[in-house]
Amino acid sequence: MGIEDRNVRMSLQTLRVLEAFLENPMEQLSGADVHQRCNIASGTLYPILLRLESAGWFTSQWETIDPSSAGRPRRRLYRMTTTGLRRASEVFASFNRGILT
Amino acid sequence: MSKRDLPHWLIHHAARRAPASLSDRLEEEWMSDLAARPTAVSRLRFALGCCWATRVIAYELGASGAPVASAAGGDNLAIAYFHGDSGFSSRRSVTFILVVALHVAVFIGLMTNIKFYRHVTPPFETQVLTPPYVRDVPPPLPPPPFTRTRIDAPPLELPPIADEEKGSQIDARPMVQSTPADQRTEAPPHLVSHVQGGPGAGFPTADDYYPSAAKRMEEEGVATIKVCVDTKGRLTSDPSTVQTSGSTRLDQGAILLAKAGSGHYRPSTEDGHPVDSCYPFRVRFELRK
Repeated sequence: MGIEDRNVRMSLQTLRVLEAFLENPMEQLSGADVHQRCNIASGTLYPILLRLESAGWFTSQWETIDPSSAGRPRRRLYRMTTTGLRRASEVFASFNRGILT
Repeated sequence: MSKRDLPHWLIHHAARRAPASLSDRLEEEWMSDLAARPTAVSRLRFALGCCWATRVIAYELGASGAPVASAAGGDNLAIAYFHGDSGFSSRRSVTFILVVALHVAVFIGLMTNIKFYRHVTPPFETQVLTPPYVRDVPPPLPPPPFTRTRIDAPPLELPPIADEEKGSQIDARPMVQSTPADQRTEAPPHLVSHVQGGPGAGFPTADDYYPSAAKRMEEEGVATIKVCVDTKGRLTSDPSTVQTSGSTRLDQGAILLAKAGSGHYRPSTEDGHPVDSCYPFRVRFELRK
């Protein structure tokens, strides 16, 4: 996708978002799903999702449904990339070791 | 865009203020996530949050010029850049003006208060205070003469002390209550040997129940779980966490392990006979280096 792997400024909310995705890295979550799991306000959540996506940790795509037949609009689904999984695991591992860089 | 209510209107306008490359995507994404909000209050909070998110996103993209995947046209991702953010500069100007206005308001308020204080305060004037008229007070009366009274008390009569009771003695002998001869035969005390149970043969290992998420995060710890086991080594109630390992994931793994071990517990024994009992045991989760 041509998206570079960059460092992301870690905040408590960012860690909570990463933790939600690390529970099942192959799962695709919408912003509403992440809000339910982390209880982060939308004003904080969406900048974090876009920040992680622009850093190459997340990728996103539209839900493949027909909105008219489903009776609801399609959702934007986020998924952790391989790079994101590795970097997030490193962050939590260093966090557990007491070395958060 | 459906302008059904205030949250939709707010999201529409918030998305319009976002960088052009993200505007359509954010509006559709937020509208769909708005539909998942159950109550009117939560929908309004969500919409207001989106307004704030727009400003943060615009500021960050304007500050860094970082690429963001835009998928307004579907799954075909394109890299778009956002250059500049007039909204942010105008926000800084507005903030600066607000700060200056606040200072001016405080200054004017202080000056107004000073003038008001001057108006309220009475002018300075000198007043000569004259002492009140005091009449001649007669001298105090002399104290009454001291008279000593005698009190005749009857002599205290103490009972005579027997010879064997003189001096301080402490009887260190234990108090023995005499019992009739037919009641003196008592059964010797019976000591019950109690052996606490624990995980027995065939008990699953902690590695099998090490949560994968905890492994990824390199979480380690020891959880203490309390189980109630019958004489067959089976659980009689759900196990509970007595002392946490510090990680919810590890605690849940320990509970699952304790449940899976039902039937493989070694029951506690009293005098060698298995009995129903409750006891704690520790589960250690440790990564293999």
